Amino acid sequence: MIQRHQRILFWCLVVCIIGMGVLLAVERQRGRERIEALADEDQAPLDAPTAMAETVTLDLANDADGSIAPASRQIALPQEPNARARALIDHLIAEYALPGSAHALPPGAAVAEVFLVPLPLVGYTTDATSSATKDGGFRATLPVAQSDPDPVQPKQPGGELAVIDLHSTFVNQHPSGVEVESLTLRSILGTLHANLPQIEQVRFLVDGQARETLAGHADLLRTYPAADTTSSADAANGGQSN
Amino acid sequence: MIVLDPAHGGVDSGSQISDTTVEKNVTLALAFRLRSLLTARGFSVVMTRDEDAPAVPNAAGSALTLDDRAGIANHAHAAACLVLHATRRGNGVHLYRSELEASGGQPLVVPWLTAQAAWIPQSQLLESQMTSAFSRSGLALVASSASVRPIDSLTCPALVVELAPSGDDADSINDTDYQQRVALAIAGELLFWQNQVQPPVRLSATARETVGQTTPSDAAGAQP
Repeated sequence: MIQRHQRILFWCLVVCIIGMGVLLAVERQRGRERIEALADEDQAPLDAPTAMAETVTLDLANDADGSIAPASRQIALPQEPNARARALIDHLIAEYALPGSAHALPPGAAVAEVFLVPLPLVGYTTDATSSATKDGGFRATLPVAQSDPDPVQPKQPGGELAVIDLHSTFVNQHPSGVEVESLTLRSILGTLHANLPQIEQVRFLVDGQARETLAGHADLLRTYPAADTTSSADAANGGQSN
Repeated sequence: MIVLDPAHGGVDSGSQISDTTVEKNVTLALAFRLRSLLTARGFSVVMTRDEDAPAVPNAAGSALTLDDRAGIANHAHAAACLVLHATRRGNGVHLYRSELEASGGQPLVVPWLTAQAAWIPQSQLLESQMTSAFSRSGLALVASSASVRPIDSLTCPALVVELAPSGDDADSINDTDYQQRVALAIAGELLFWQNQVQPPVRLSATARETVGQTTPSDAAGAQP
């Protein structure tokens, strides 16, 4: 004879089991609907690319004869000038990392960042006529030109200084030699000049710090003019090779 | 007087030419050959180093810096200053002058970092004549300009001579016949050059202000 309280417990358990089964079925159905909804979203057309491929000129170096020759490439570049300059140099170095390159360089990211700074470089001084000292103790500032007239004056209005911050991993692996180091720098300078003519001068940093040389030879402390560094331009200035 | 600067030395080995050859030894070997050939032709030769470690100029324990090398060269008042380098890339001889733009003359106070500017026309002429000499010798040559310290601080007709292997084998850079051919071409050309070298025009104080070559910061780092 089954006691009454056992029968009550039995039927309670049956109700719980049925309830849990219904809940499981409902949740399963909801999950299926969510997955179907996500699948529908994935089938929507992708956003159109923000940058179209354009023709750019890369000044490519050749170790065999010490020459630099322009070459056209179809590359999608960002519109923002800093990112554009960095992408240009990244593509240039990537070209040198390809098998069979005439100026073989190690693969990997070369540039950490490129900063474009308007010329002439200016500093800031406090405005003696400002009355802003009453509350906060700070005076307004005014931009002032540097006292050094050379070499930070722009040749054209809108001229810019490009500060290229190189990765130390790239610099430490760069082949050593006057020619190979000079060709890398001249290749970068020429490529920037060809595609971003507003860049008039270039300085190099390595991991954010000034460094004497690229790999023991080419000077990284000086400010370089961004100019046509192709061999035809060099020959016009007196350079030659046999 | 000719100044030879065999680059690198001591802990600075320069580039690795091959498994057994480093740049500092090649530049020193070439410098010794050049010194012998130049001395035989009646030149006085000053070398910034004649052993592995650079000469220590004054203070005990101080290493010879690039500025020290430029100081040695500038005090010699040389007819030509040759900075010797070596590389495994390319072939033949690579010849470079400074990338500085020529100035109108040498100011009274010489800016240290751009002292070579007054000598650029002479350096260009020396490079041109040296190019012809290498061509006559049948040596592969690349002639251009480069920014390699301490050439911009030299007050003499100055060139960087970078020796590359003669062939595909990097160790061919140690070949004595090859180095001798290069040294002979240089020494022969310098024999003609010694009668052509002309110091740059010295600018007066007024002219210096007009040209604007020297800034207060430059003057502080003027030639010692």
